[in-house]
Amino acid sequence: MILSAIFACVAGMLVIVSRQLNGRLSLSTSPLVSSFWNHVVGFAALTVVGLAVGRLLPAGAGEVPWWVYLGGPLGVVFVASGSWLVARIGAINTALLVVGGQMVSGVAFDLMRSAAPSAWLSGLGVALILAGMALTQKRS
Amino acid sequence: MTDHAAARRLNPLHLVAAFATGGLLTAMVHLNGELARYGNPLFSSWVAHGTGTAAALLLLALLLRRQGAGAPAKPSAPLWAYLGGISGAVTVMLTSFAVNSPIALSGTLALGLAGQVGFGLAADRWGLFGLPARRPGGRDFAALGLILAGSLLIILQGHFA
Repeated sequence: MILSAIFACVAGMLVIVSRQLNGRLSLSTSPLVSSFWNHVVGFAALTVVGLAVGRLLPAGAGEVPWWVYLGGPLGVVFVASGSWLVARIGAINTALLVVGGQMVSGVAFDLMRSAAPSAWLSGLGVALILAGMALTQKRS
Repeated sequence: MTDHAAARRLNPLHLVAAFATGGLLTAMVHLNGELARYGNPLFSSWVAHGTGTAAALLLLALLLRRQGAGAPAKPSAPLWAYLGGISGAVTVMLTSFAVNSPIALSGTLALGLAGQVGFGLAADRWGLFGLPARRPGGRDFAALGLILAGSLLIILQGHFA
């Protein structure tokens, strides 16, 4: 339990590390080139791990519908966009605005699939996120 | 070089782009989660990185054909700047371990968010990994606090309701 908690927290820190590194690379290249290297290097690392663990091609792999494979290409845009943003608005702004967008779209996605655990608390959460975003636009 | 961001408000284009990037993440988490259902988290991340590599190559080829050479040379990047993909691959492994433990998805997301906020503040404060240092001002902290509170409410609502 403690180990899982540490792992989860370190995973969050590594999200920032990854975006900083890709952001730094994008300054010397471009966000898209940086995203390409992120994917190539990640793919190589995961291939090594997969070959060592031996679970790279599971039995159900042949039945995957084609549209499920769109997650990878979307990731290219996601990483490129993160690199572009972190060099302009910094790590904490990028991190929390991306999480805010993820939360609000996630609530909308759950509502479409009619699987909202609590519409009331979700609505309050969305309102707080939108208020925070509005506050960034207030002139000081 | 410390950028005092407090005096300026966030560029609306950056605000919208970051928010939309979060929407992209929701779609990715859903699709890669489906992929993991057919196989396992390692398979899902491996395939996503592979198809992503192919997609990035395709995009770069299209862009290169359009713009050609002639852009001014930029200073080269240090070798460590190419290791973002390693960090991302480790993130996938740590997260899939934590999600399948007693802390479950909500605990993993909440603690991951805590890690992001803590290390994100440090990265800005000291300009870690070669990016400019920045000091958020009072209004920035208030805005970020609201977004953090709203996000935690959504992630942990199962524990409140």
